Amino acid sequence: MTGVPKIVYDRLRAARPERALPGRALPERTGPELAHPDANLLTAFAEQALSAAERDGVLEHLALCGDCREAIALALPAADIVATPVAAASEAVRATKITTKAESNWLTAFSRPGLRWAALAAGVAVVAAVLLVRPGKLNQAPPPPVNQQVATAAQPVPGPQIAPSPIPSSPTGQSAVLTKSDEARQKAELQLSRKLKAGQIVTPSHQAEPGILIAGNKKDSAQADNLSAAPATGARAFAYDASTSRRTTEAVEASGAAPAVALAPSAEGNLMARNETPAIEKAKPALQGIEANEQQKTETAAAPGSATSQARNVTFAAKLASPASQVLAHNVTWTITAGVLQRSLDSGQSWQNALRADRPLLCYARHDQDVWAGGQAGTLFHSADGGVTWAQVRPSIRAQQLGSDVTHIDVRGDARGPAQIVVSAGNNEIWSSADGGKTWEKK
Amino acid sequence: MPKPAESGHAADVATDLYERSGAAAYGVGAEQFTAILDEILRKYFDPVPNSAHASAEQKADFCAGLRLEELALARACAAGNERAWQDFISRYRQKLHGMALHITRDGAHAAELADSLFADLYGVNARDGVRRSKLVFYTGRGSLEGWLRTVMAQEFINRYRKQRRTVSLEEQTDEGVQFAAADPDPARASDQRLEAATDEALAELSSEDRFTLASYYLDGRTLAEIARALGLHESSVSRRLDRLATGLRKRILAGLRAQGMSHAQATEALEADVRDMRLNLRSRLTQDYEATTFPDSSRKVPARDPGGGSNNRQKP
Repeated sequence: MTGVPKIVYDRLRAARPERALPGRALPERTGPELAHPDANLLTAFAEQALSAAERDGVLEHLALCGDCREAIALALPAADIVATPVAAASEAVRATKITTKAESNWLTAFSRPGLRWAALAAGVAVVAAVLLVRPGKLNQAPPPPVNQQVATAAQPVPGPQIAPSPIPSSPTGQSAVLTKSDEARQKAELQLSRKLKAGQIVTPSHQAEPGILIAGNKKDSAQADNLSAAPATGARAFAYDASTSRRTTEAVEASGAAPAVALAPSAEGNLMARNETPAIEKAKPALQGIEANEQQKTETAAAPGSATSQARNVTFAAKLASPASQVLAHNVTWTITAGVLQRSLDSGQSWQNALRADRPLLCYARHDQDVWAGGQAGTLFHSADGGVTWAQVRPSIRAQQLGSDVTHIDVRGDARGPAQIVVSAGNNEIWSSADGGKTWEKK
Repeated sequence: MPKPAESGHAADVATDLYERSGAAAYGVGAEQFTAILDEILRKYFDPVPNSAHASAEQKADFCAGLRLEELALARACAAGNERAWQDFISRYRQKLHGMALHITRDGAHAAELADSLFADLYGVNARDGVRRSKLVFYTGRGSLEGWLRTVMAQEFINRYRKQRRTVSLEEQTDEGVQFAAADPDPARASDQRLEAATDEALAELSSEDRFTLASYYLDGRTLAEIARALGLHESSVSRRLDRLATGLRKRILAGLRAQGMSHAQATEALEADVRDMRLNLRSRLTQDYEATTFPDSSRKVPARDPGGGSNNRQKP
């Protein structure tokens, strides 16, 4: 929806009710300067029970009087506004559009229907252009020649296949990367062996949130050290935002361009253990991700059977995320104010109501797109799409129902499986669900 | 209401209204009820000069459109009828607490608000030794439940404003008020010409349009809330807002050009203004009147808890 200039706010606000007094104001309400319509008229107005003339009079007053407008809004029956989700993008970005005219928020831009179609058309045009310009390149399913060389060199490990990446990293770029990664590999080995000798434990220092997989592999951390060329502070490279990585995982999977560098079960049994394939990549350019792959690949090939590969091998899955999804994941923040769940799309500069229940909300938890909000008297809402739509959840078991105030919600789980939800409520009740809220247990 | 004796027809109407109201069950006599209706008619018809000559039919229609049953209940309660009170309590006591919670969004304040309203309704606070229930002000124009909600909302707003004025410096510090960007001097910030053009554009709007604008942009109401207040569909409100925003812009620009600005100057004046904006809508929309907004003729409930939740309706 279009914003209005600030001066409009100012003038609307500057308008005072005494300039428009409804003639029908009741005598007992007629103050020296303010004649607000009494509760009868306001009620009848909200219930559409006034005659046209009376309605005009009340509206005339309401247009100028913020207090009466507030009274009407507060007095709207509660039942009807249970769980009003932020309806659409236009609603969601309403709060931002006032202030961010200069910032040209792309979300705001897309809230206009015309632009939405224009964006779609532009997208189609870009795809068509790419297909026209580089028809051959896109059809090349197998990895570029350089990659194959590496793969053969890396026998007997079956070479991990890197799918054609959507990022403009051409074969030439990759070869450059490759040579670099050869050097990097040696450095990594050197450093690693030094660290191992010294008995130094290289563990990621980042406080893991639920659902984050930490790369326990020392070799990997050492590698990462080298890769990111960061000061040797251990697992700096792993200090990533959990939500980002999860989001990126999704993005990659959705686009089908996941360069799954899954290490095939190889003759080298040392690579077995646990192959975990989560995202371990900072919000870095994809090039570096590929670099990581290459290095991982050459590394494993070059040092088979070394003790370093034991324990847990965490496979690097290069995450080629679209920047947009990262922006989204980064910027959406939530808060609860006066019992209303609010969210901000611009890191807290402006807020809009995301969920208003008939009872005040007290707490929320989010895990990726899953957002849970709890409130008084067993109020519990769940959104599986980042707050766009909401459903009320009523945990119950054996005729018992969650009825006390929900004071804390904990959501954990990985991106694939159903999340585990733990709800703490008053009376020391703890309700938990292991299947995303379908069935519940009470402790 | 014409006097029942005036004509047989009027008497019939009055009897009919009385029967429909069920006032007899609460011990309200027919004459008493007619007097109540008369009082209401005077309220709504006499103060308006043009409708002073409203016909008897008009008045009868008006009375027929009232919530007679709820009116009888409310007035019987005000008169202290036991049975009416029992009915009232069984019907509304629970709802009152729900309403209060909905309005305050805070358990403690809700209980306080509901209790104080209940005391008002019962007329605990005697004035001149006469118990006076707030229910005598109910006129049956809207539903009794809606009226209760509105009265409660007004009470809440009054109280909230009172508390807001007494927010301590520490509390302000806690919520970072002193760090808020200084409000640019209105006189300096907005060009006189821009103001005039805007006022003119706003004045051209219908009051419903201005209500919609203010509710949405100033008060931050949702489309759904505005739609329900106006009895429209949400999409109509959305379309209207779009139309209003575009139209206002055009009209202000036209007004500025009419005052001798070039198109570029006018656009710049409007745009520069937008960028200057630092406003917390919610906190600035509540205008600080010295006078109590909803003067309550019966009594005022002192704010008992000026601490804790005094700012619970402010945006972060």
